[in-house]
Amino acid sequence: MMDVTRDTLMAYLDGQLDGDASAAVDAWLADNPDAAIELAQLQRQNEAINTLFGPVASEPVPPRLNPHRLALAQSRRRWQGAARAAMIVGVLGIGIAAGWLLRPVTDTPALHNRLIADAVSAHTVFVAENRHAVEVAGTETDHLTSWLSNRLGTGLAMPDLATAGLSFLGGRLLPAPAIPGGRAAQLMYEDSAGERVTLYITPSAGIDGPNLELVRLGSDNALYWASATITCTIVGPQSAETLQALADSVFAQLTPAATAPAYREL
Amino acid sequence: MVDFLDELEACVPALRRYARALTRNIDHADDLVQDCLERAISRRGLFRPSGPMRPWLFTILVNLHRNARRSEQRRGPHLDADSLPDLGTPAPQHSHLALAELSRAIDGLPLEQKETLLLVTLEGMAYAEAASILDIPLGTLMSRLGRARANLRLSTGEAQEPHLRSVK
Repeated sequence: MMDVTRDTLMAYLDGQLDGDASAAVDAWLADNPDAAIELAQLQRQNEAINTLFGPVASEPVPPRLNPHRLALAQSRRRWQGAARAAMIVGVLGIGIAAGWLLRPVTDTPALHNRLIADAVSAHTVFVAENRHAVEVAGTETDHLTSWLSNRLGTGLAMPDLATAGLSFLGGRLLPAPAIPGGRAAQLMYEDSAGERVTLYITPSAGIDGPNLELVRLGSDNALYWASATITCTIVGPQSAETLQALADSVFAQLTPAATAPAYREL
Repeated sequence: MVDFLDELEACVPALRRYARALTRNIDHADDLVQDCLERAISRRGLFRPSGPMRPWLFTILVNLHRNARRSEQRRGPHLDADSLPDLGTPAPQHSHLALAELSRAIDGLPLEQKETLLLVTLEGMAYAEAASILDIPLGTLMSRLGRARANLRLSTGEAQEPHLRSVK
């Protein structure tokens, strides 16, 4: 008598056995009518499930589910992003030129404004990338943490924003010539709709300025804050309120030891 | 690029079928499929493992559905008059009534059992493929499948004597 287990019967039912094994079960069933009856019931259950939902696959597919169309819409959005970047670069260029020409002799542009502008530029450039959006993928959290903490010379943790619906894509190191350490880190997140948010982080040593600033550039918002150890600029297309809520969560996780600034003053 | 999109397009009918069976709601199901496709398109290259496309897409769809369920549970249950499927023309051996009963019974299954049962019976996936999509060991897949079937038989009143359970 061969050994027919419950799992074997189920595999037989689901057509997952090869010819020999299947024939052996056939033979066994002939001697076990009770099992055969129950198997037939389960077979009908399978058929009924396919009767219920099988026809969906032959329904005409609505145009919004056409991958070619979706890809086109996505690349159009990306192109708009590039156009926006070009526009921002242009506007910044004009602004910087004007600022330079009209500069009061004693006053250079505030450092924190430079950082916000750098954060927005970095955001615009890298969120448009697919394959090269980040330098180190978000799956290597530990490596990112130690690497970026070392390069920036201050302890950083990679914030987990899953509760806000954002998955961590990863991060990269960027030059930041305007500040003493000369380096900044960018972390990137993405929501389920593919909208991306970046954090631009620098050490705060030597940077005087407000603790908090909100700037709107193009269709992106940038929220900057400084603590005793770091500055962080959150950039994304989200509303100011959403960014503020994110900032609370980011701040608590980025430098766990520090105390949060008073966002409510915004 | 075009190959990728064509390959994606070929998977859409199966994704719709599976999403419809999971949600029993045509709009929710198609929203889910659209999210899944958009994610696949934006993540091609960066995230796609070098394997066949179908299991990758089903993995994305299953995860999106779980996320949607979680946020729905936070908001409270969503009742919808459209949630009963259009039964169409039943095969002769299945009455409308029995099908409606089965549909409700499937809906009443725990999510993990429903996901498993539908991958195997509706999508005809090999056990190993379904297990890798759901990221569970083969043994777990088999036991979920067995429990799902036993539950359906109980709630559709078919299980008078659970013979299979006594088979050794």
